[in-house]
Formats: sequence, structure tokens, C-alpha cells
Amino acid sequence: MFELLEHTSDIGVLARGATREEALVAASKGLVSILVDPAPFRPLEERHFKARGSDEVAQIVNWLNEIVFFFDTDGLVFVDFQIDAWTATEIVGRARGERFDIDRHEFRTGVKAVTYHQFESHSIPDGWEIRVFVDV
Amino acid sequence: MQLEKIDDYRWLIPRTYKAGMLTDTVIFASELLLEAIRRDQSLEQAANVAMLPGIVGRALAMPDIHQGYGFPIGGVAAVDEQHGVVSPGGVGFDINCGVRLLSSNVTLKEVKPKLRDLVHQLFRDIPSGTGQSGRLNISDSDLNQLLEKGPRWAIEHDMGSEADLDHTEERGCLAGADAYAVSARAKQRGKPQLGTLGSGNHFLEVQYVDEVFDEKTAGQYNLSKDRIVVLIHTGSRGLGHQVCTDYVSQLDEAMRRYDLHVPDRQLACAPIHSPEGQRYLHAMAASANFAWTNRQLIAHATRGAFKRILGDSVNLPLIYDVAHNIAKLETHTIDGSKKRVLVHRKGATRAFPNQPVFIPGSMGTASYFLLGQETAMRETFGTACHGAGRVLSRSAAKKGVTAKEIQKELESRGIIVESLTREGLTEEKPEAYKDIEAVVDVVHNAGLASRVARLRPIGVIKG
Repeated sequence: MFELLEHTSDIGVLARGATREEALVAASKGLVSILVDPAPFRPLEERHFKARGSDEVAQIVNWLNEIVFFFDTDGLVFVDFQIDAWTATEIVGRARGERFDIDRHEFRTGVKAVTYHQFESHSIPDGWEIRVFVDV
Repeated sequence: MQLEKIDDYRWLIPRTYKAGMLTDTVIFASELLLEAIRRDQSLEQAANVAMLPGIVGRALAMPDIHQGYGFPIGGVAAVDEQHGVVSPGGVGFDINCGVRLLSSNVTLKEVKPKLRDLVHQLFRDIPSGTGQSGRLNISDSDLNQLLEKGPRWAIEHDMGSEADLDHTEERGCLAGADAYAVSARAKQRGKPQLGTLGSGNHFLEVQYVDEVFDEKTAGQYNLSKDRIVVLIHTGSRGLGHQVCTDYVSQLDEAMRRYDLHVPDRQLACAPIHSPEGQRYLHAMAASANFAWTNRQLIAHATRGAFKRILGDSVNLPLIYDVAHNIAKLETHTIDGSKKRVLVHRKGATRAFPNQPVFIPGSMGTASYFLLGQETAMRETFGTACHGAGRVLSRSAAKKGVTAKEIQKELESRGIIVESLTREGLTEEKPEAYKDIEAVVDVVHNAGLASRVARLRPIGVIKG
């Protein structure tokens, strides 16, 4: 579950899940919804994600930046995320999606990067919450 | 926040405002603009700029200031070259985002009958870069060359002239660029986007000279009323974005080794002379060169589109190309003595005396051509603002309006718009920005840059 947040020049994602992993999957889907209308995309191609970082914040930011990277380079829009392992130094997982086709799909906004600005990742009474802002 | 009024255009956040500020921050704004500025976190961020280790003089905020990440957009800081830090967040993700203004030998009257065809041709010839690659397919070796040479690479490939370099900041080649400081991922992201405009607030506008304020200067650039000009606003695309991402992450870790502290992690920094700081500066310079080349290639495509629609006799000489997201080593006089400093300009334009400065307004309003003034050298490290500055968030801008309505409204005012996305129109509607006239008034009246001419759009292409 996610919602998009207001910011004067850019956009934020507030994501929640029963676990930290679920919250990250929700944040990933939120980020995709900034780039495109995700509804028509199918999980046809898979990419492995490896997001290293000195702490949880850097790992989450780097994981989300993988989504931006694969969109810019392969035109891939992911709709299905799976986290296989989350250690003290990295998040390892997979994402499945389909290539963007300008004739069939709706592009919304280009994302330059995921930022550390006003970042939050913490437990809440019924699970986990992540807040992240992206530069568009 | 309580600001101390210096005069009608200058406001002070004293260094005593919060712990960690190393100097005062000066905001250049009118009372009217301050009302809009106070609505988000930009003043708090302007105070944070004063915490950058090694900052000299005052931290500055331009009248188009708005909330960014760590640094506000419109923030300026000079740090001591020997003892200061470099912060990729103080440059921004879009390294050398900037503007380039082309003049022409045609007038409004000559272009108007063919305007729709011209805008359509420009939209076809200049891809936005999303779901469609640039028109160029360059080799890895070419990419490495242009990262180190800038637009000279394009000129060697018949996409411009020596005169273009004469009218580009740094002649389009920032010293110290090293293609090997740019990661393989950044190159992979940037290569297919070379020669593309991008989305968000990037644009290409066909404009005409609506009013001349300084006949002498305008004459030097062959500008008179109704002359057609073209304004191009874009940057280093995915290459620069990835370079910033890579180095924010590296410097975030390096800060611990150097025992540096900043109020926002997005301001991650390293000493200028550290290996990490130097490597970022080499990569930033390469990204800046990529951006200048990108604008050169778009100018080349623009010239082709004009010739195709209006005939071979049309010329579009470059007036100037200036960066507004960059860090540069410069010499400035601070407290009476000359000092080498690294000036971070994030959403701020260099405005050295007699240098052209371009301030684009929002879509459908006006843009300004100004000339840098001596006061800017004394007070702002030779800097003026870079645009109108957002006031509405993107989601707020989209509410209650459709892309078709905006397109229709602009057409009723004689402005033809083509955009790849609906968001390109709704999020960038004129009301989403501050009043360009109010912003330019501050820059002119504070003596940072003086008005030369006002430019109004008749054709807009957007990603």
C-alpha cells in the first residue's frame, strides 16, 4: 500500500506493509507509478537486484535506484518484486516487468533519482513504513 | 522564521538562527516573493547551506528559491578551495542543467504562417528521450571523447561551428573532466539519451523579442523587437543523474572517515582535495561537458528543422549557453582579499559582468535576457537566479485542469505546444510557478543582472 506525497518541486512515496520487506515492495510500486501508469504491464522479464549500503537507508535508496536505472537503460517497468535476502550490508532480490512501448503505454514523469532527503524507515503499530522523496 | 530586513531586496538569516550555521545567509527577494517562499522548507534549507564545512562569505538564496534536497533550488555557496568540501547535493542530480539561447535572422511575421509546421518538425527531430532513444548511435570511445572534450566533439563531427564554442560558458569544456571517473552505469544510462530533451521542466521554446530594455546590448546580439529566438533548457540527462547518485552514495560513506557532519544526508560531502572529492569533481566536469554537448546537438537539430521549414537562408547563431547546476573553482574577493573558492550553484546562473544571463519563465509566460553586473561579483560570487521557481507541487498543479485545456488556452494566445506527456503540460502550467516579472525585478533592482530584453513564446516542445 502506498500513497504519493506533495513536495514543491518533486514527489514523495509513503509506503506501508506488514513487514519491512512488504513496505519496500510497496515503495517500489509507488515509484513505478510515478514513471508510468503501471496497470497494463505484465511480469515478462526478470532482473536481479543487489542493493548494497552501509545501513538500511542506503540499501533502500539503492534498491529503489535500481528501478530508475533499468527503466532508463532497458525501458523495463517492473510490476512484481521479490526480496530474497536482507542482510546488514545488502538487499538481494528480483523484479519482473515488461518493456515500455510508447505506442501502447502511458509515460508520466521521468525520475532522475531517489534521494536521502526526509527519508524515513521505521516500524509502526501494525507493520512498517517507508517514506522517500524522488527527484523528477 | 524571523528574517532581518537589509533592504527591499535583501533579507538576512543570522548565523545565530540555529546551531551549526557557520555564516549568515542572505535571501534575495521582495516582500511579495517572500510570502511564497515561506510556504515550503526553502528558508530552513537556505540556513542549512550555511553549515557546509569550509563555507566562506555568506550563504545565498536567489529570488526563485524553492525547496530542494538538502540545498534549496536557488542556493549558492562558496567554499574555501584548500579547506572546504564539495557536495554533489549542492550541484544537484541534473549536473549542468542549463539554458542556451539562439538568435536568428527571421522575424515573428515571417515565422508565424509556418509556425505549426515548425513546432511539429522540432517535436519530430528532438526526441524527449523516454521510450525513444536519441537519434545518435555513438560508440563507447566517442562517448569517452565527448565527456572530456564537450561540444568540440560535436563540431569535429559537423554538428556546429567554432563560433558555438566562443559563446558557451567555459567553451563547453570544464577543466579536469575524466571519462574514467564516470561509472559504467552512468554511461549506460546516458548514452542513448544524448541529443534528447528529457521531461519535467525541460523544454525548447520558439520565442520572439517582445520588448527591448537595453538597445545597445540587444544590438550587439542582433536582437530587436519581433526577432525570433530559440531557448533550450535541458541538462546531462541520465548520465549526470547517475553520477550524482553514485557519488552521493560514495561521499555518504566517506564523510565518516573525514568526521564531517551535515544537516541532511543528501548534502553528503568530502574535502575538495580528498581522493573522493577529486573523483567527484572529475566526474562532474565530464557530466557538465556531456550536458553542453547535449544542448549543442539539440541546437544542431533545431537549425536543421528551421531550414527544412523556412528555407536554407535561415541562420540561428548562438547567443550564449550557461549552466545553472554546477560547482566551479573561481577567484573572488572576500573580506578584501582574493581567494580561490569552489562556488556551488544549484539552480543559479553565473552572472559575471557583461555575461548574458537567461531567466526562463513558466510555459506560456515570458523569459528574460539579462546582463551580469559588478554588484553580483561583490555580493553573490557573480550569480543571479535561474528561473521563476515553483510554488505549486506537481500534484497540486494537476488538479482541476486537463492537458487539452492548457493546450487550448495557450493556442488561444498564439502559442502552439507539443508535449509527449499530459504531465508535461499539467504539472508545468504557468500558475505552478512564481511570477517571472517579480523575480526579474529583484535581480535587476538588486543590481545582480540588468534587463536587456523580454522574450515571449510562440512555440513550445516538451517531454
